[in-house]
Amino acid sequence: MSGFTASNSRIRVVDTVNNVDETVFDTDNDMPHIVGVSYISNVAVDFDDLTETQSYIGEDCVGGFETDWYWVYTPAVWYSFLVYVPGEWNFQYNWFYSSYERVYTPSYYEFAREYTPSSYDRESETTYNDCLYTVSYYQWSVDAEEYSSTTNIGTLPTDEDGNAIDVDFITVQATGVRTTAGKDPRFNQALPTTVPSKTFSFQGSVLLESSGKANGNSWFRRIMSVYPSGSNLKLKVQESVATLVRGAYDASFPHINDTRSTYSFNFKVFFGKFRQ
Amino acid sequence: MAITLKITPTRFQASGTKLDSQRRYIKKVSSGEDLRFVNGQNMDVAGGGLRYVDPTGTNQDDAVYNGSFSGTAGTRIKV
Repeated sequence: MSGFTASNSRIRVVDTVNNVDETVFDTDNDMPHIVGVSYISNVAVDFDDLTETQSYIGEDCVGGFETDWYWVYTPAVWYSFLVYVPGEWNFQYNWFYSSYERVYTPSYYEFAREYTPSSYDRESETTYNDCLYTVSYYQWSVDAEEYSSTTNIGTLPTDEDGNAIDVDFITVQATGVRTTAGKDPRFNQALPTTVPSKTFSFQGSVLLESSGKANGNSWFRRIMSVYPSGSNLKLKVQESVATLVRGAYDASFPHINDTRSTYSFNFKVFFGKFRQ
Repeated sequence: MAITLKITPTRFQASGTKLDSQRRYIKKVSSGEDLRFVNGQNMDVAGGGLRYVDPTGTNQDDAVYNGSFSGTAGTRIKV
């Protein structure tokens, strides 16, 4: 039954809902409250450029015309032939008769030979060769990488004895800006970021950037986490990159050197406890 | 005028009703919670994929995640 009791240094308030007593307040237990607030400015988060590796794949044929030159030997030959010498009339002076007379010389065939010396002639033949020469071809892939960096960015609130309070929750109210917008190595476009331009709150971890393959599988993630550890408040920055093979030969990733992203955050961290 | 202290058979109010028995002050419980508060790292990355540990402590993984991070369930809260 709803009521209020105060006895032996204990104050207790009970509310009854649906015949069930609910303790609203009990000095023997903690009340939900914020035990401390920390302001942490200019928290820098820096992800380096990705790297890529060139891999030899094989040889590719390149076609073209080629000309073969060679010598052709022509042996020496003797060519034999008959030369016809026609008959002819000539005038011949006859000293005996002191007159000219016609003299006929009959036609005849004369045997002749002609020599052609041997020779070497340079000749060529041009043909198309499907594989005139080969060129090496390569494929590029983004290197797999696992990166993690943890830093102390503050301390937990302490009690009157100076001991860190075992907080039940931490809520981070953040403002941030991506000071360098890294690009997807494949495209001339910035990696999608989930960091809003206005104040946002989170508990635990935040996905900062991601990218997927053509089939939808993730290959790239960047996250940060803010959490208590011992007496400290930790910031953990992580990056995970799976091998990403370029879908074309002889072409590196055009924006591999533009993949660095940097952020600057301001955190307002609430440390809280619940009623037991 | 703000109530300093008011006690009726069904309600307790104090300090300008900053404390009110009809308010549902959240409290930590071991079971029967209404919600959970995350209190720690609840994501991890490995193999190019992400593991998200939801407030119940269940892993929600990308298909390619190959890490071994084990997050903790959120603190059980009842209002």
